[in-house]
Amino acid sequence: MQELLGRIAALDPQASLSLRVIACFDELIVGNVNTRGLLGAAASLAGCDAGFCQELPPRALRVTAKGALVADGPPCPTSAVTSEGITVWLDRTGPAHANDAIILERLALAVRVRHGRGRRDLESRRELGLLVDGTVPVEERSLAAARLNLVSGARYRIVAAPLFAVWESHPTGAEDVVATPFGPVHALVVPHDHEPVAATPSGTGLAARVENLHRSFSTAVVALRLCEPPRIPSVQADRYGGLVGLLADAPTDTDLPDVDSLDQVMTHVWGPTTLDALVRAGSVRQASRLAGVHHSTLQARLDAVTELMGFDPFDGIGRTRLGIAYLIWRLRNSRVLDLPAPTYSDSKTR
Amino acid sequence: MPTVARPEFDPELKAGLAVVGGVFPPTVTVDLIAFMRKSYASPPIEETLRGRAIERRDETIRGHRGDAVGVSVLRPVGVTEPRPGVVFVHSGGLMFGDRFSGADLVLNWVDKFGAVLVTVEYRLAPEFPDPYPREDCYAALEWVAASAERLGIRRDRMMVAGASSGGGLAAGMALAARDRGGPRLCGQVLDYPMLDDRGITPSTNQFDGVGVWDRVSNETGWTALLGDARGGPDVSEYAAPARATDLRGLPPAFIDVGAAEIFRDEAMAYADRLWTAGGNAELHVWAGGFHAFDIFAPHTMVGQGMIRTRDAWVEKILAD
Repeated sequence: MQELLGRIAALDPQASLSLRVIACFDELIVGNVNTRGLLGAAASLAGCDAGFCQELPPRALRVTAKGALVADGPPCPTSAVTSEGITVWLDRTGPAHANDAIILERLALAVRVRHGRGRRDLESRRELGLLVDGTVPVEERSLAAARLNLVSGARYRIVAAPLFAVWESHPTGAEDVVATPFGPVHALVVPHDHEPVAATPSGTGLAARVENLHRSFSTAVVALRLCEPPRIPSVQADRYGGLVGLLADAPTDTDLPDVDSLDQVMTHVWGPTTLDALVRAGSVRQASRLAGVHHSTLQARLDAVTELMGFDPFDGIGRTRLGIAYLIWRLRNSRVLDLPAPTYSDSKTR
Repeated sequence: MPTVARPEFDPELKAGLAVVGGVFPPTVTVDLIAFMRKSYASPPIEETLRGRAIERRDETIRGHRGDAVGVSVLRPVGVTEPRPGVVFVHSGGLMFGDRFSGADLVLNWVDKFGAVLVTVEYRLAPEFPDPYPREDCYAALEWVAASAERLGIRRDRMMVAGASSGGGLAAGMALAARDRGGPRLCGQVLDYPMLDDRGITPSTNQFDGVGVWDRVSNETGWTALLGDARGGPDVSEYAAPARATDLRGLPPAFIDVGAAEIFRDEAMAYADRLWTAGGNAELHVWAGGFHAFDIFAPHTMVGQGMIRTRDAWVEKILAD
């Protein structure tokens, strides 16, 4: 995987490789992978052998970057990390590589957890993960916030981005990888009045005090999933006001007839652009301007939408129904966490 | 969230996806072909060969329509007597990759089992649609047989092998060699082969947007190769071997595939049909495996298992 990391760096010099290393070990810990597997991953990420030894009972293991077991040897004195009787190291010849420190740190943690020493580490997850998890008691979240040097009473926002996002500028602030049902998300804390973060794609959550930052996170994830680069590179949750909170709370698999109907509208090639125009416009004429078509064309499409949806999108509550169905449809069909959003040439020319 | 039931990825492989996703997105669309050609380009072959007793010679052969096509001949250093030969077809969804993509996984066959490996720079879709890729490969097979003395290859022990799109092309070569009275083959290694342009199996629809190479990617690849003919009645079985109606008289097949990838069902069906036709086939389905996991995560336990099992079969067929 070292070679793959190198390719990622070559394709996008701004890519955060350490976050990928963290996400990789997060999965290994969750998956309860054994010591050999952990060493194999570390060795593969580093491109050199990785080793482990413990004092009691005496045991040692060394694995190559290709995952093969090799004769164990003494710990590499320059890189060995020892904690709770367990030592891990990378057999790096020459100077340490950029990712060695984070690989070793994560390897040491993962091995301790696998050996039952680090149960506490597993239970008390990393601070930012605690902070944005609303099921964690508020006292614990406040303590986590304090350890992250966040000020009680001050307001912050969470920025959510995929691991492969391109950051034009990277604000300093607490950040980590947080697992979500949609995949690992890179979360970053910024002050509430921070200028919009130029990362593609990214979503910025609603402002909140530390005890409510889980709301900022969930709305940031909704905002992120509403991105459609390159057309919509980033989304501020503020733009959707209270609606974004409702979207964050809506279970993803709820039966929603309006959204199912919208599926049929979207099978037409004109579906997405027309819907976008309809929810933004106040009239057929304005919608036709936004969609860039003659108003008689738009009227015909509007008739088709009315037919398929079973209500008039310009009529009273129909506007709200269409708007909400459209947003949920976009969330359900969001691919923003799947793709390396910016293309190679985009990230080079900026 | 999609509610499609699907097998989980193996934990070590799932962890690997945190890195793999940066170079190989799950869903490859036409706009990503240029990106994939950069991200899936093989590392310099000199580095791959470093420390191995393998010598390489590049040659130009006549491919489809007589056009120039590059091949590399990789052989054990200092061996002069005729050796078994392997025609290797690389992966890359028919649209990207080069003749050294995934080559590190087959080099053991050269320096451990003493085979001569010929890897083909077949031309890629969509610029070169069907029949270019498969006929370039078949031309290479005929060239190897015709040049066997000069290349030091035993004509009685020749095998085809390929991964993913290359696996489909290798299966197509075996069919074509049978039908056209071409070289007699002693084996075909089909790693998670891309066999069916129709996308009709349950596994095709189980992995949208996750892992490596989903349904949409597959449609992108087959459309690049076949255009509007994809899924229709006029597709050659040499391009899409799942369409072959007669699987009799084929060389022994080794087929491996992940249980958590779209090609699972078409790989199993091909093995099953080979057996039904009285053929010799060995099938390995690796639990939790995403597509081409041995290429992307060879360090994992399941990756090691796949590579070791495949090499054991190849050794059985090829080694003296």
